[in-house]
Amino acid sequence: MDWLDLTIIFVRTAVIYVAFIQVVPIMIWVERKGAALIQDRPGPNRVGPFGLLQPVADALKFLFKEDPIPKEVNKFLYAIAPFLILLPASLVVCAIPIGDYAVFFGRDVLLQVADLDVGLLFVLSIGSLGVYGILFGGWASSNKFSLLGAMRSSAQVISYEIPLALAAANAVMFYGTFNLRQMVFAQEGTLFGFLPNWGIWYQPLGFLIFFIALFAETNRLPFDLPESEAELVGGYHTEYGSMKFAVFFMAEYINLATASGLMTTLYFGGWHLPWITDARLLELLGSRNLLALLQVATFTVKLSFFMIVFVWVRWTIPRFRFDQLMRVGWKNLLPLGLLNIIVTAIVLYLVEGR
Amino acid sequence: MRDGLFIAFGILTILGGLGVVVARHAIFSAFSMVIAFFGLSALYVLWGSNFIAMLQILIYTGAIVVLFVFVVMLLDLKKESSLDTGSGLAVMLSGATVWFFSLLILRAMNRGSYFASEKVLVSQDMRVISHLLFTKYLWPFEILSLFLLALIIGVCVLARPDSKEGPHK
Repeated sequence: MDWLDLTIIFVRTAVIYVAFIQVVPIMIWVERKGAALIQDRPGPNRVGPFGLLQPVADALKFLFKEDPIPKEVNKFLYAIAPFLILLPASLVVCAIPIGDYAVFFGRDVLLQVADLDVGLLFVLSIGSLGVYGILFGGWASSNKFSLLGAMRSSAQVISYEIPLALAAANAVMFYGTFNLRQMVFAQEGTLFGFLPNWGIWYQPLGFLIFFIALFAETNRLPFDLPESEAELVGGYHTEYGSMKFAVFFMAEYINLATASGLMTTLYFGGWHLPWITDARLLELLGSRNLLALLQVATFTVKLSFFMIVFVWVRWTIPRFRFDQLMRVGWKNLLPLGLLNIIVTAIVLYLVEGR
Repeated sequence: MRDGLFIAFGILTILGGLGVVVARHAIFSAFSMVIAFFGLSALYVLWGSNFIAMLQILIYTGAIVVLFVFVVMLLDLKKESSLDTGSGLAVMLSGATVWFFSLLILRAMNRGSYFASEKVLVSQDMRVISHLLFTKYLWPFEILSLFLLALIIGVCVLARPDSKEGPHK
């Protein structure tokens, strides 16, 4: 480990983090334009061409607004709550593999911040810590609506963590590893000659459960009950203004990006181009770095697709009622997840004798 | 490096544990508990069992303490309940606890290194853990889960409003 290695680690970490944080302004624009498209109205079109500079205007507005602190709040928890959400959201980024490796200065550079042997568990466990920001933020605000939002959030996140973990357990059983990079390697090539060899063909039910549970975990519509504006004003962030409010939204979009990245990694082949193996691609391109670039581009396209699906669902499906949310979680997703585990175990035993 | 990190996270864990006891408000107790559990899982990572560390965060920090916080918020404890620190039994019990743990710490210090018990931690691999859980420790494991189930039922019975008047009224 000399200075070059250290520099590579620092630069790589910085580049990947900045890339994931850049998702935020892009998503603000995509969300607004997407909503407008679905609701048949023009959307933002004043700032820059196609309203592309709208995120910049929003950010400036947030920065220059007054930062109000209500009188009755618990100052310490009120101030740290937004960061308690942002911190886990951005920590999860480091386990997502965005490509195989590139070569710089004669060194192999992994295109992932940290190649963890417990990658999937890391994502699930650190991701589950985001709920503290919502809980403490809602409680510290001394506002009944905020508190209700916080309570709803904790109940919802804990309930949906179980189906999420069950679906993830299925993936672990199927791939035989917790390592996200190994999972991506297992999804290379073609299946039956015409399908890309993706996890979704082996785990369709697992993917469905994972996908639904992710909506609840990221507090997105149709499961955004912690902040449902029709009933709770703004839920846990009612009392927040200015940059603190913006931090909540940054965390939400980074969470969306990591959730999409996770779905891509587990079920859609990660950085692999469909139908073609990396060895063949390397032969065609003749350069490791070109291949790495192509891999990152492939990953980005897949990730963007899921981000757009999140926006699409948000503006299409109405919000659930809380009892419906609980019923779906406990009475539908949980038994289905258990069933999936049993079926996967039997099939793995019969086919591979594991 | 490893020793330094161990001391840093050990201190963090102990401070978190102290916070649980000392904090004036139940919510800050829960917050300190999160910190303590986080420090503890960092210690597990230093011992080389990443799997246990992640489970520690997933189960305790991510789920159980969230439930604690949930209950604290539900009850909305504004005032600290008074502590009966003067009673002889309390003094005796806390004295015994302090004595017991001091002995443990002294014993551990005599061994020289913080990582002396490396043999205990064969558990790096989840295969090893699962195998032990389903063979050697199967009965203790099942009995423990039955015990927890009994506790849950007990709490439900205790927490239920007077059954003659029917639930929720």
